[in-house]
Amino acid sequence: MNMINDDTIAAIATPPGEGGIAIIRLSGPQALSIADRVFECAGLPPSKRAGNSFVHGWIFDDTTGEAGPEVIDEVILLVYRAPHSYTRDDVIEIQGHGGAVCARRILRRLIDAGARSADPGEFTRRAFLNGRLDLLQAEAVLDLIRARSDRAATMASDQLNGSLSSLFNDIYDNLVSSAADLESSLDFSEDELPGHVIPEIQDRVRTAAEDLARLRATWDEGQILREGALVVITGQPNVGKSTLLNRLLTSQRAIVSGTPGTTRDTIEEGFILNGLAVRLVDTAGLRETDCEVEREGIARAGSYINRADVQIYVMDASIGIGTEDRTNLERLDGDHSIIVLNKIDLGQAVEADEVRAYGTPIECCLINGVAPDGIKDALSTIIESGIPQMQQAAISERHRSLIVNTITSVDEGLSRLGENEESGVLLAANALRDAIEHLGLVTGRVYHDELLESVFSRFCVGK
Amino acid sequence: MKYGVMVIGAGHAGCEAALAAARMGVKTALLAVDRTAIARMSCNPSIGGIAKSHIVHEIDALGGEMAVNTDYTGIQFRTLNTKKGPAVQATRVQCDKAFYPTRMQAVVDQTPNLDVIETLATDIWVENGKLRGVRDSNGETLAAETVVITAGTFLRGKIHIGDESFEGGRIGEKAAYDLSTSLESLGFRLRRLKTGTPPRIHRDSIDYECMELQPGLDPPPMFSWRAKRELFHVEQSGDDLFHVEQSDIRPWRPGSDQIPCYLTHTTPETHAIIEANLTRSAMYGGQIDATGVRYCPSIEDKIVRFRDKSSHHIFIEPEGRINDLVYPNGISNSFPKEVQDEFVRTIPGLSRAELVNYAYAIEYDFSDPTQLDHSLESKLVENLYFAGQVNGTTGYEEAAGQGLIAGINAAIKVIRGTPLILSRHESYIGVLVDDLVIKGTDEPYRMFTSRAEHRLMLRQDNARYRMRDHAARIGIVDPDMVSETGRYAEQVESEIERLNRVRRGDRTLAQILRRPDMSYGELDGRDETLPQEVARQVEITLKYDGYIQRDLERIEKARGMEEKAIPEWVDYNAIKSLRTESRQKLNEIQPRTIGQAARISGINPSDIAILSVVIKRGRA
Ligand SMILES: Cc1cc2nc3c(=O)[nH]c(=O)nc-3n(C[C@H](O)[C@H](O)[C@H](O)COP(=O)(O)OP(=O)(O)OC[C@H]3O[C@@H](n4cnc5c(N)ncnc54)[C@H](O)[C@@H]3O)c2cc1C
Repeated sequence: MNMINDDTIAAIATPPGEGGIAIIRLSGPQALSIADRVFECAGLPPSKRAGNSFVHGWIFDDTTGEAGPEVIDEVILLVYRAPHSYTRDDVIEIQGHGGAVCARRILRRLIDAGARSADPGEFTRRAFLNGRLDLLQAEAVLDLIRARSDRAATMASDQLNGSLSSLFNDIYDNLVSSAADLESSLDFSEDELPGHVIPEIQDRVRTAAEDLARLRATWDEGQILREGALVVITGQPNVGKSTLLNRLLTSQRAIVSGTPGTTRDTIEEGFILNGLAVRLVDTAGLRETDCEVEREGIARAGSYINRADVQIYVMDASIGIGTEDRTNLERLDGDHSIIVLNKIDLGQAVEADEVRAYGTPIECCLINGVAPDGIKDALSTIIESGIPQMQQAAISERHRSLIVNTITSVDEGLSRLGENEESGVLLAANALRDAIEHLGLVTGRVYHDELLESVFSRFCVGK
Repeated sequence: MKYGVMVIGAGHAGCEAALAAARMGVKTALLAVDRTAIARMSCNPSIGGIAKSHIVHEIDALGGEMAVNTDYTGIQFRTLNTKKGPAVQATRVQCDKAFYPTRMQAVVDQTPNLDVIETLATDIWVENGKLRGVRDSNGETLAAETVVITAGTFLRGKIHIGDESFEGGRIGEKAAYDLSTSLESLGFRLRRLKTGTPPRIHRDSIDYECMELQPGLDPPPMFSWRAKRELFHVEQSGDDLFHVEQSDIRPWRPGSDQIPCYLTHTTPETHAIIEANLTRSAMYGGQIDATGVRYCPSIEDKIVRFRDKSSHHIFIEPEGRINDLVYPNGISNSFPKEVQDEFVRTIPGLSRAELVNYAYAIEYDFSDPTQLDHSLESKLVENLYFAGQVNGTTGYEEAAGQGLIAGINAAIKVIRGTPLILSRHESYIGVLVDDLVIKGTDEPYRMFTSRAEHRLMLRQDNARYRMRDHAARIGIVDPDMVSETGRYAEQVESEIERLNRVRRGDRTLAQILRRPDMSYGELDGRDETLPQEVARQVEITLKYDGYIQRDLERIEKARGMEEKAIPEWVDYNAIKSLRTESRQKLNEIQPRTIGQAARISGINPSDIAILSVVIKRGRA
């Protein structure tokens, strides 16, 4: 019996709200016997079946009495036997057809039959503890679950295959060997060892610094792929911002509902644009105001704007450029802005060329239902250009902050080495030790309790 | 007569162990095969060097003898790594090979509570699982409450010179075979290591004008608080009558009349001869299969491993004032005598060298140190301690550091106190012991500064501040030193506080002092009345301040793991999710805390995670 995972956990593995199939997972030493208790099929019960096999059948409830147990759902049941499973324990996967309500009833049935409801990330935690995944791979699973687009999923699955681990390990090994050379120049007098030339070590550390900088750059890509590009719609009141939001959304399927509770006056919606996730935010109108609530909304809009990957500035083309418009336009980042000249059907007081210096101008009439294809094209061009063409890897926020720390330490090491003072070597060696420690935290090569905690607390239930 | 502590072997570990125990007031016996071989220097008569010097300073701060003995018998004093910063600066002293042991013997003889027994120990005497003492080669039983084994390279020692080989613990001394057998029968795992020593050359057969002169430093850097202080008083009074006490050696003032070393090098002819004769070397001919010292390689090793290097340094080091021999540092080997004669004479300045003793290599048993606790007491037999080369280390300093700890802890066991366990962040001795008992070793273990995680805090200049509380508790250092250290520590603290407060323009004095080119002596606003040592501590502490703060934070962060005990009920065999090799390692080493477990080589983060989960749940 597995001493760590001596109980059996169960959870719904599919995200809530999705229609179609629901998957319920069961992992642990009693997975097979619990399945026997709740599942009926033709032929052998699950516990007598081979690993990696599936069988069609029904999940029954435990009603006793005359009528006998009732069917909860018609399902496909998959059997994985330890250690050939995701967690390396026995795993049963139940694919139900009845949607979310049925899935919850199945889960309740499994718990009544002896399973325990899984903690967030517990399946992956078990996989990690059983040596099935390394830390980077475990984090990739998290990303995969949260992936909002095909391209984010590709990235996460690359990471799952270990490509990121090997990249990190290369840098790690380079730093370790450079540090070791520095250390030996401290521990041996010149005569004891064949001299290690500082410039040569410097070169190697510099290579590591460049690799790290490149890795950090991929964070921006990762951020866009993982979280979706943040697109903020701004403009003065009543120029058609909400209409634009609806136009963009109705032509696509919204996959994220508004973020409830956090804002009264900004609305965030998501959609997929050419395989990329986009988070669309409609902000409060930008104008001078005495109303406190509105001012608050405008301040919040400002914070969105600061983080935005793209800003869409909407204006009423029929009235022309007012002073407030002028101020707002001047603040735009030309390479990452789209200027929508709305309401051209009411007359055109502003020409595209007049605003071209502030962003990409698009003329349209949203109210007439003119499909804003031009807007979508411009949007996807800008988002694509923000993604470096390095497809190799992308890193998460936790990785990013550790890499930033690593880079700080490596830079300090390089500057100490450049001091031309022998005493710099000692401090450089120290800085490299710090760098190695930070980087080791990425790959799990240095152990910290809180590291594991922080990684696993982010997992959703079910994986 | 029953002793409280009985030490087997009067080498560098044995002397420290016996002296410490006796000074703590416990009746102690030191077993030596030959009284005149006490504290003999098997190899190069030099003490200190990078990282080793740190250990010697700690020994001094805790009340050991090595530092004092070195200062009072040194013939050349140097500081290494002077330009690389105080944390890696080290003192190295060439001792007089004859006087070092003579003085140590005199100290041993004059120490109350300490008897020297001239005999060869053959058996650890255990009855009903309880340690009773030692049996010797005369069939006598010697009763003792605790026993410290410091047998050095003597356990099943086997000497090789070229294709010749014979039993011996050191050249001219008998090996100890029975003791190995006795330890094995008690269940101890013994393994093999090897080491070597170069030939010795008659000093009159050397042409020094072909070599580079390497003088000692003046004023001489010293290890011990006592020598530094006495020297200071001598200088103050102009009194020159300072002498090596406790012996009949001609008086001289420590550090005076230093004898220079010389530097020469191997030539292409040397390399050619060595290459041509590789198969005749005991090591390369395959006669020895034990693991050697990677960091102190034989000349064969250096030539084979660094083929692109056409020349290696050789230091010509005198062995003493009245001793005719010199030690050619850098050409230890295990060639037959005639090959040694031939290649040595191709070295500039050695063309007519007369080899008085030939180089040899020695293979010996060591006891796997993971069988010990941090107090150096064995887990298999209560009250039995191991220290020195017998634990797989190499070097006098590493041996002495362990000897001191084992002797103190054996005495504490007798008087029933809390053992002295030094941590990794307060001392090199702590690093040494922790590495040995947690990681073990596959090759002769030598100390390096890179082994210490908190290197900037573990300097030789602050050893006595780091060791002060322990020294006060153990109580075998001069009380004046403890109180002076306390006084200085306060002065350092208040001066740092002042420098952080007082400004010159828009910067504090502390900020000004932190500039790379600034020293306390040049600081406008310095306190002229501060003792020099205090000023130095202030300067170093401030210069490393940022780094030391970060280190302290790291120590604090690790404390949780370091202190999280692994309860007795944890049964690694029952934790099936641990990998088999991890289970084996954990069973073998039996770490006491999660922090220790995490340091075991081969134990990875997921093993630790599993272990933490098991402990948290409170059941296997
Ligand atoms: C050939 C050789 C080469 C070396 N080269 C180097 C080197 O290059 N670098 C380096 O750092 N170190 C070197 N050393 C190691 C250094 O000498 C030792 O590390 C150091 O002396 C170890 O101290 P110790 O107290 O553990 O043992 P030792 O100094 O060996 O002392 C052991 C003592 O125990 C006694 N003894 C042993 N068994 C018994 C018994 N059964 N009964 C009674 N007494 C017993 C012996 O007589 C001896 O006095 C070398 C040693 C040798 C022999």
